[in-house]
Amino acid sequence: MPAELAPEGAIQELTLANGLRVVYAPMPWLPTLSATLSLPFGSATDPIGQEGSANVVHEWLQRGAGVLGSRAYSDALLDLGVRRGGGSGREAASLSAAFLESVAAPALELLASSVTQPHFAAGEFEASRELAVQELESLQDAPTQRLFEALQEQVFASPQRRSSFGTSAGLRALTPESVREDAARRLGPEGAILGLAGGGEWAELEEAVTRAFGSWSGGSVPVPPAELAPVGRHHVNAESSQVQIGLAYPSPAPGTDDMYVYLVALEVLSGSMGARLFTEVREKRGLVYSVSAFYRAVRGRGYTLGYAGTTSERAAETLDVFLAELRRLAEGVTAAELERARTGLLASIVMAGESSGSTAGRLANDLVLFGRPRTLTEIASHIEGVTLQGVNDYLAANPIPEPTVVTLGPKA
Amino acid sequence: MKGATLRFDEVVLENGLVVIGENNPRAATTAMGYLVHTGSRDETAAVAGVSHFLEHMLFKGNEEFSADDINRTFDELGADYNAYTSEERTVYYGSVVANRAGALLDVLTQLLRPSLRQSDFDMEKKVILEEIAMYQDRPARRLFEHANERYWGSHPLGNSVLGSPKSITELQRDDMQAYFDRRYSPGNVILAVAGNYDWDAVVEQAKAHAGRWPAFEAHRDYPPAEPFAGREALTDATLHRLHAAYYAPGVAAEDPARFAAALLASIIGADDGSRLYWELVDKGLADNASLSHEAQEGAGSFVGYVSTAPERAAEVLEAFQAVVRGVQDSGVTADEWRRAQLRTATGLTLRAETPMGRFMSFGTSYQTLGRYRSVADMVDEVMNTPLEAGLALLEGRPFDRDYLVTLGPA
Repeated sequence: MPAELAPEGAIQELTLANGLRVVYAPMPWLPTLSATLSLPFGSATDPIGQEGSANVVHEWLQRGAGVLGSRAYSDALLDLGVRRGGGSGREAASLSAAFLESVAAPALELLASSVTQPHFAAGEFEASRELAVQELESLQDAPTQRLFEALQEQVFASPQRRSSFGTSAGLRALTPESVREDAARRLGPEGAILGLAGGGEWAELEEAVTRAFGSWSGGSVPVPPAELAPVGRHHVNAESSQVQIGLAYPSPAPGTDDMYVYLVALEVLSGSMGARLFTEVREKRGLVYSVSAFYRAVRGRGYTLGYAGTTSERAAETLDVFLAELRRLAEGVTAAELERARTGLLASIVMAGESSGSTAGRLANDLVLFGRPRTLTEIASHIEGVTLQGVNDYLAANPIPEPTVVTLGPKA
Repeated sequence: MKGATLRFDEVVLENGLVVIGENNPRAATTAMGYLVHTGSRDETAAVAGVSHFLEHMLFKGNEEFSADDINRTFDELGADYNAYTSEERTVYYGSVVANRAGALLDVLTQLLRPSLRQSDFDMEKKVILEEIAMYQDRPARRLFEHANERYWGSHPLGNSVLGSPKSITELQRDDMQAYFDRRYSPGNVILAVAGNYDWDAVVEQAKAHAGRWPAFEAHRDYPPAEPFAGREALTDATLHRLHAAYYAPGVAAEDPARFAAALLASIIGADDGSRLYWELVDKGLADNASLSHEAQEGAGSFVGYVSTAPERAAEVLEAFQAVVRGVQDSGVTADEWRRAQLRTATGLTLRAETPMGRFMSFGTSYQTLGRYRSVADMVDEVMNTPLEAGLALLEGRPFDRDYLVTLGPA
């Protein structure tokens, strides 16, 4: 175990009779507690012709629960000082809440009620759908986000390619009945995960969680296995000052030993302002303000997304330099680069371990991707176990594949 | 340790540099940085954007440390580091696992003695121009660049942080050096450290390096603000949404009424559960409708934003203004006030979980107010601000003197 990691309290786990999995990382020095409820539905399992249904379920279910109407529900959370968050994605949606641990029981009760007893009141449907339509339209004025939507559409051959925003036609086709049916079909506890981190006593949390979520029932729809699409090059016309450049290529699956080796290599490529991409694209050539590459995973599949934004006349050179750096990884990394990459990753693990919100989110994500929570010590020992020979053998045997490239901007 | 009072450390070096710390011996990490009391409000029009450009240039190093050395050293420490520039200040900061705090302080201190080499200046100019181009593609950002300048008029808070393509293109290396020599006085700088550190070691290190920087006067102007009121419409046929920026007079950072102003803004325009949320977002009329309060030195403002469909603009903007102005007639309720207090207090407590969160908060607060405030102090200040303080602000009817500007396709 690395010397700098403080001793961790044992991670607690619980599976309720209805299938909900609960995981808690004690951070006994904190007066706060964060909760992330991961719900196993997203755009990948939207019914055909109703693209965007998951997004509307997610919005609608927050508008009134149990004995409380929409306004009263929101006020009840505010009365406890609860800070809310969450979102709707491709494979999963989430509801998150952060609060003082002294109000944990009533806060968890409220969080639970939006999935155990959602109102889905007819009067709240149209506004929920309209909000989703507006968010989709706002994407048109956000070129970087638009690029990432276009890029992910090219990454997957499976339904994970569908945008979590849905489509205009899909959203228009929704009715209160169709969305209620959809919610009955897949807003259930099977496959859902509650990640908790912060102050509190596990015995009390266990009781509060069991009481709050125990009555939850409902169906679930398995997410189809993710399949990656063949490599391609695509351009999306947009009137913008900069050309948005996106890249994507397959990477080791989450939870494999190769994943840790690859993450160290990726840190050498793009982990910091001293990393190769930043140095070659920005520092030496002044081509961009922003350039990066980062690992993403869905169940059973890992992939890497790359991004650079630059003005039209420099787009070709930017892409060339980016691709050259991807190819150069096959030649290996130096001992000094490896050491810096491991140090950077280990430090970021320690830092994330100080925040209840990032810890709760990580635990929930671990259960989704790895099927179990990882301790910080476990993650750290994997990173520390990556040797120079190991990473260079890996990179020589697994050169970065030719990426899919999507550009968005003025006509080339 | 839970809820324990953390130790506050403070020393003023002979050259005027202030070193402060908030010691938390159980933290695993240390966050620290230099807060320089200079920003776009301290610029003349001829060098618009120099504070921010200079911030980039500090990472290019000096005779001892090249740009590569700097980036590499930060990486060897596993530091999470960055910098930002606002109208009011330029902050260079980082966070490391606690046993590397000394080495982090070394490299941050090196940043503050830059060479500003011509070749680096020419290269980084391209990066700044790309950054400006990037923001051009973000309509809300572009709108606020315009709105901020229009609202504050000739007041220095109206100066653009980024500058314009023209001002950046024309800026010379020697202009930047002159600005540095005028603004980066040790008396204008605070070194703040939060988390797990050895105070004696910090002070010794600060004295040995930053303590030797030559002292000189660095002055900031505080002219009275004469904010603009009225309406404007900007068009850009390539846009799909109607974006609107809203300004009204607020209170200054040093004004005790700032807590009341922040709570009022939260009641009117927090992201969820606020009056604007219920009137516009909940109904699906706008995907964003918010208001916050920005307290800056000598002047403050309420700042709002709306994003909606162009065909609904008239209805939505009328509703926005009606909500905000209506609060002046009907006041706010005790329930709303208490909820805003709880929301704010919980937010402060959550941000205090990490040394980096504390660094960001206590350093800037000390720079503005000249005194230390613990998390408990800040929570108390919020919880002890009475509803009457909010109602008193509303009696001045700030939202009658508002400025609303739209950017959309027509």
